[in-house]
Amino acid sequence: MTEIAYYPGCVSKATGREYDISTRSVARALGIELIELDDWSCCGATHVPNETLAIGLAARNLTQTELPVMTTCSICYSNLRTAVRRLEDNGLRARVNSVLERKYKGARVMHVVEMLSESLRNRELPIKLSGLRVTPYYGCLLTRPGNGIDSPEHPKVLEDMVRMLGAEPVESPLKMLCCGGPIFMPREDAALESVYHILQSAKRAGADAIMVVCPLCHLMLDAKQGAIERRYGVDLGMPVLYITQLAGIALGLGPEELALEMNSISPLPLLERVYQRMTGD
Amino acid sequence: MSDAAFREEVVRLAGDEIRTCIQCGTCSSSCSTAHLMDNSIRKLIRLVLEGRRREALASESIWLCTSCLLCTVRCPRGIRPKAVVSALRQICEREGISSRDASFERIFMDQIRSKGRISEVLLSAAYALRNPDAAVPIMEMGIELLSRGKVSLDPGTVKGMDEIERIFRELGND
Ligand code: SF4
Ligand code: SF4
Repeated sequence: MTEIAYYPGCVSKATGREYDISTRSVARALGIELIELDDWSCCGATHVPNETLAIGLAARNLTQTELPVMTTCSICYSNLRTAVRRLEDNGLRARVNSVLERKYKGARVMHVVEMLSESLRNRELPIKLSGLRVTPYYGCLLTRPGNGIDSPEHPKVLEDMVRMLGAEPVESPLKMLCCGGPIFMPREDAALESVYHILQSAKRAGADAIMVVCPLCHLMLDAKQGAIERRYGVDLGMPVLYITQLAGIALGLGPEELALEMNSISPLPLLERVYQRMTGD
Repeated sequence: MSDAAFREEVVRLAGDEIRTCIQCGTCSSSCSTAHLMDNSIRKLIRLVLEGRRREALASESIWLCTSCLLCTVRCPRGIRPKAVVSALRQICEREGISSRDASFERIFMDQIRSKGRISEVLLSAAYALRNPDAAVPIMEMGIELLSRGKVSLDPGTVKGMDEIERIFRELGND
């Protein structure tokens, strides 16, 4: 059984619960043992302006294990990866190590997207999501600042994933526009405006659902969708699923294991369509 | 702090390559919140290089940056404009230049320093307390999340708090 250290990040117990639940279920189904990172702490998200401090916080997490570290949050992922790259500098590494309990000696960081694309490739899925038009929403930090999972300008890893699940990828022009999540508390208006455009562009592209890979993107696109509908006087009703929820459906997992009832915009009607097609109605 | 000292400090924090900025505007034209900013990110970099400290630190743009890093991916000079924003935020914090945005960042960092992890409930509550006009959307959000069972007061405790304190104390004074 493959063992991977899992860094859930702060939102996994709250706004991102369905991501955490579905990640654990999908890993189990794939025969991957996720070992929650011992004594993990916050990576600082986008709110620690001092870069050395931010790298110190990331490095502390990376020294808790020898295993590859997997995270589901694009912000954590970008921060951890940035730390790995910056810590190649011996001077900085020595300075950071002088305050750490265990010394940093290098680490492998991955996003759950990588875990899924590695283990789903060449795997026969019990349920094909055929006929489902899914638009992947990349957001910002899955691919930035670069040298990570895919090109920051022309990524296709998520479209490939949608295809792997048997669904049809739909191109939405705003798939990489920032959701504004990091400033949504002090700057609600600015953030909601971005999200409104992102949701509208997905709808116009003819998507049945949006697939996301970051809990902050999900919060903005799903939990805030009602507020956006009221503010802009529109009817969106666009289901927003985590990549692990969609993968879980294709693996034949049930709605509870994927916490589908926790999404604000219910994905259940979509699921019914998938099941109906399977039974040949 | 003199204007030249200000410029040198930002350069030290955000990287020497800033000096090579050609003012091409690739960063601003990639920026997702450019339309809301008073100074574009390109202009902000010019203000820094010209040592125009007061204008740079007073610019709202510092707080409208979402940290999306597209500017950083695209700059033809390898400059990290987002790092300039971070440097300016850091200087604002040190000089006690406060705003609702700065207070959010302060609360966020204090919570990491005292608990090791972020509790969204405590974060929102602390922020709403200091910025009462933010209370309504925060409550709205809270009700939505509560009804889905997605609110938790306890993000779990971190044992290595001494280590976290050391990280803040020793690495946080750049
Ligand atoms: S993209 Fe780079 S070189 Fe061009 S204006 Fe921005 S910082 Fe300067
Ligand atoms: S990181 Fe900030 S300044 Fe750069 S493009 Fe994104 S929002 Fe604009």
